[in-house]
Amino acid sequence: MTRSRSPVLLIAALLAPALIGLVVFRLYPIALAVSDSFFNVLRGQPVFVGLDNYLSLLADSTFWKSMQVTFWFNLLINPIQIALALGLALLYVQQFRGVTLYRILFLIPIGVSLPTAVIIWRIMLSQDGLVNGVLGIAGIPAQPWLTSEALALYSIIAIATWKGISYWMIFIIGGLQTIAPEIYDAARLDGVRPWQRLVFITIPLLRPTLLFVLVADVSINFLLFAPIFMLTQGGPADSTNVLMYEAYKSGFIFGDMGRAMAIIVVVVAILLVIVGLQFKLLAGREARP
Amino acid sequence: MKTTKTAIAAGLFASLFAGTALAQDKTLNMIVIEGGDTTAMQAVADAYEAANPGVTINLQPYPFAQFFQVAELRLRSADAGIDLVYVDAPLLASYASRGFLSAIDAGIDTSVLVPAAVEAGRYDGTLYALPINNSAQVLFYNKALFEAGGVTPPAGLTAGESATQAEVDALASGERWTWEQVAEAARVLTVKDGGRTTTYGFTVEQFGELYQLQPFGESLGTDVIGPDGYTAGGYLDSEAWIEAATFWSDLYNAWGVSPKSLGYGEAAALFGNGQLAMFAGGTWNLPILGATDIDFGVAPYPYFEGGAVLTPTGSWYVGVNAASANQAESMDFARYLTTDAEGTRIWFDSLQQLPTYRPLLEEISTAAAFDAFPQNVFRLGVYDSLNTAKARPVTAAYGQLQDAFRTAFVDIANGVPVADALASAVQRFESAAARVAP
Repeated sequence: MTRSRSPVLLIAALLAPALIGLVVFRLYPIALAVSDSFFNVLRGQPVFVGLDNYLSLLADSTFWKSMQVTFWFNLLINPIQIALALGLALLYVQQFRGVTLYRILFLIPIGVSLPTAVIIWRIMLSQDGLVNGVLGIAGIPAQPWLTSEALALYSIIAIATWKGISYWMIFIIGGLQTIAPEIYDAARLDGVRPWQRLVFITIPLLRPTLLFVLVADVSINFLLFAPIFMLTQGGPADSTNVLMYEAYKSGFIFGDMGRAMAIIVVVVAILLVIVGLQFKLLAGREARP
Repeated sequence: MKTTKTAIAAGLFASLFAGTALAQDKTLNMIVIEGGDTTAMQAVADAYEAANPGVTINLQPYPFAQFFQVAELRLRSADAGIDLVYVDAPLLASYASRGFLSAIDAGIDTSVLVPAAVEAGRYDGTLYALPINNSAQVLFYNKALFEAGGVTPPAGLTAGESATQAEVDALASGERWTWEQVAEAARVLTVKDGGRTTTYGFTVEQFGELYQLQPFGESLGTDVIGPDGYTAGGYLDSEAWIEAATFWSDLYNAWGVSPKSLGYGEAAALFGNGQLAMFAGGTWNLPILGATDIDFGVAPYPYFEGGAVLTPTGSWYVGVNAASANQAESMDFARYLTTDAEGTRIWFDSLQQLPTYRPLLEEISTAAAFDAFPQNVFRLGVYDSLNTAKARPVTAAYGQLQDAFRTAFVDIANGVPVADALASAVQRFESAAARVAP
């Protein structure tokens, strides 16, 4: 034993770029949000108000309505996106005629930037737009996709799903390719039906990938802002007013940063709880066999 | 070692020297709304730069839809990258109360400006901004579409005719159309082909905006908010506002005579294409419409039958950012823009907005050059600003009011029941306003 230098320094040096990024771009803003949420600005001067911003949220019906919209939105969009991404990934790895065309088609949404996609969808979903034109050929009357309380949230879910699923599909394809083909061969010899193969082999073996996709997808959708900002501004009648948009409006339109930051801290806290639960439910079972 | 020191000293000296040389050349940054306002401001800036070598005015234009948020953010962060700020009249209280603006130089002669406009630039007795212009709203109508529809158009000013101030006064006080007349004509003039509307009867230029719609309810007798500036219950949800908002809803839902969600400038574009029979909008549309081949007339801004005649007013001010390092230079450009014969003339010629500079207003009323159409439309503006103009409410929560109002009226146009939308606007405004109320 001539050299007993521990690799701590090396580890620290290698991790530093990632850690610094994490601290500067994630932890510092969160800390800033927490500290700003204890202040209000009155006549240009920050005034410490303790928990007042949180307490006033408790009695704030706009906030609760927004919370409801956020949860409903996420309860729908996350399962839809993940189920569709899984379905598309299973199709993607099949071998059949025209699979290349299919693969290209489903990778297109990744190449389009979100604002561009949103603008194109806004034009297509307008009163005289392409979607209503196609429905008109089928004899269905024009629908107010983005301007009716009953449809706006679902239109945004559809747009965000169109944009998002192929991205998640790529991760799931990666996961599918780590499953050894011998397992399927053995199953086939044992006479396992295709649906049983999916339920008992593919999905269990995909669990680590699905866990990652689920956590990342929920986080992104909880913080989704751009389509709502660009298409509906939270309307009609607050039907698309998710917490992120409510916080934006409070902070950047009304100049009420204290309330905005309190909302953001609540969103982060909810997200932490949800992600924690996901890890517990999905990763916990992974350890058993 | 000694050489290094000398080099550093020389470098410092050189940079100091460069610093003083640069100080001669000042660049003043100004945030403005993109479009016609920027074109007009650029024309004024060019003239100012020619007369003041060494000063460069750098305009930073933003779309109307984002301007207020950008201004709020940059002013709040004491961004020294802005010297001059374009200030919407009702936001002045909010900016001044938070120390965003410098007090206007006492040396600037404001006696040449309309007193009411100067007053609206004061907060707590101190003048914080100078009025660039006033605004006047009128009803534009397409003569050919009225003729084709067999409808008699409103009495108004049209091409080929001239009108003295007295004749315009008589028109504005005696022959102003009601909103009921506008709706009746619009229903006849709207043309639908299958499910699509090919010609719309009527629209307002600023979809759902308080500036444009405040006279709707107020002409029926109730202000939009209470005198304290923070109460909307009993005002925005009153009988008068429900009646006004029901008319607004009918335009879109029951009658289908108005296009939904028009963006900034789209009403003039639709009118210029001959797809719109009437629109209520600002006189700033005159140069735009003059460049099209539409034969149009201009009538006074309508009112509700049995209600008071009230018209939108108030416009943009210029202020100096308190965080600016170029206070004296910025004040001087603000002076030139608002109180100088040359600056105000260039602005008026380019943007065609009702002036607040008194010599120019007197010229509009009396000079023969303003007898002919479309210049005589400004005489309508003169009449309205003296007789029917109703300013927007003064409140530090104006931004909150504007947002709650817009949300409610956009929702109503999209089919949300009137009473629900107004009740929700009252609740939103009051809870947001309570957080900035003293």
